[in-house]
Amino acid sequence: MSTISLPRLPMRGRDWRLVGRTLRLVLGIPAYAVFGAVIAVATLTLFVVSQNLALVGDAVVGGALPLENRVAILLELYPFLGTIYAPAVGTVLLVVSTLMGANLALAMYHVREHGLSVEGSGGSAVGLLFGALGAGCAACGSAVLAGLLSIVGATGVLTLLPLEGLEFSLLAVAMLCLSMFWLADGMRGGEIRGCPVDARR
Amino acid sequence: MPERPERTEPRPIEGAHDRVTEPPRRAVLAAGIGAAVGLAGCSGGGDEERSLESHPAATNLSDQPTLGPDPLDADATVIAFEDPSCTRCRAFEQETVPKIESELTDPGRGAFVFRGYPVVYDWGEPATKALEAVFDRNVDAFWALKDHYYAAQGSFGDGNVLARTESFLADETTLDAPAVIEDVEDGAYDAAVQADLDAARDADLGRTTPTVLLFKDGTYRTRAQGSVSFSLIESTLDL
Repeated sequence: MSTISLPRLPMRGRDWRLVGRTLRLVLGIPAYAVFGAVIAVATLTLFVVSQNLALVGDAVVGGALPLENRVAILLELYPFLGTIYAPAVGTVLLVVSTLMGANLALAMYHVREHGLSVEGSGGSAVGLLFGALGAGCAACGSAVLAGLLSIVGATGVLTLLPLEGLEFSLLAVAMLCLSMFWLADGMRGGEIRGCPVDARR
Repeated sequence: MPERPERTEPRPIEGAHDRVTEPPRRAVLAAGIGAAVGLAGCSGGGDEERSLESHPAATNLSDQPTLGPDPLDADATVIAFEDPSCTRCRAFEQETVPKIESELTDPGRGAFVFRGYPVVYDWGEPATKALEAVFDRNVDAFWALKDHYYAAQGSFGDGNVLARTESFLADETTLDAPAVIEDVEDGAYDAAVQADLDAARDADLGRTTPTVLLFKDGTYRTRAQGSVSFSLIESTLDL
């Protein structure tokens, strides 16, 4: 009978090597790589669109502008393609979006290929649960940032924070990294493309 | 000159720096493009509200610092709500506004209107009042002081903003710098700043700076938040 224990924190180098190996194996499958990329782009798109809903509604989705203008306006909303975000903030947004894509690709693989009751999987269900919580927390952190954003100017308590609210996104990065570790840890004992997830096994 | 209000407690101006954060409406709305589609037909209100003349963001438009032709006669009008203490406003002013000037206002193709919207750091509020006081006296000095605030943004704070402003005005303009500062401290321009804050509130701009409202042929097209590029403005107004 398997026991369920709370997931541990990644304290050792080999914990992160486990994450890297799991990611490499999962994202080496084209379908999951595409899925992760789609999620990453969707996450970034939701974020940048949420910052300029009126503009998107009036000029990209609605209005009577030529298609090329609509595309140009939409692209301008993204970090580094437009000028809305400072480089540091744009970088963090890209990192969060990429991690979100990778995280959900891992979770999807975990559910589809391993199921939630793989014998000897080291508590995969708990890993998935905490992975989902991590992703949710990250999304929440990003949503909070979106709502209180300092990157397009903000007010209130954000100005009291040293990074003017970027802390929320950095927290999201940390939670996504933890989430990926918990997912990978939950897949210990399983195999991906015929290779053991845990190389030491 | 705006009617000089009876001297009252000068700070805080309603709506500025009240340290109360609005509910994260945009976060809630971040449900995606679908939400944007749903909102597409809702933004801007009725026809009357969509004209520049009657748009709440354009209240007292003729009293605002403006580059280029009369906004009511211009093919394109950009109204920017900015806070001198906002870092993305600095990016907008230094990267986008010069292109607005060279491509839009200087050739007479459009107008650019500056509205002070001090909602970020505390020192933005006295700075905005000083801008109003200077604009009332000399338009060129207003643009110079505004540029100075952005150019030296990192050196300003609550404790030194008025002293540094006085020093700049004394060194770089012909204005009576102590009189400007005295007016700011006496609250003589609180009403002018409050008018900008009221306009932003009535236009439902939230508390984000910079927010840029775009009009073409006297009709409201949309608004954009953040340090948007001139290219975005050009595409949106189909210039």
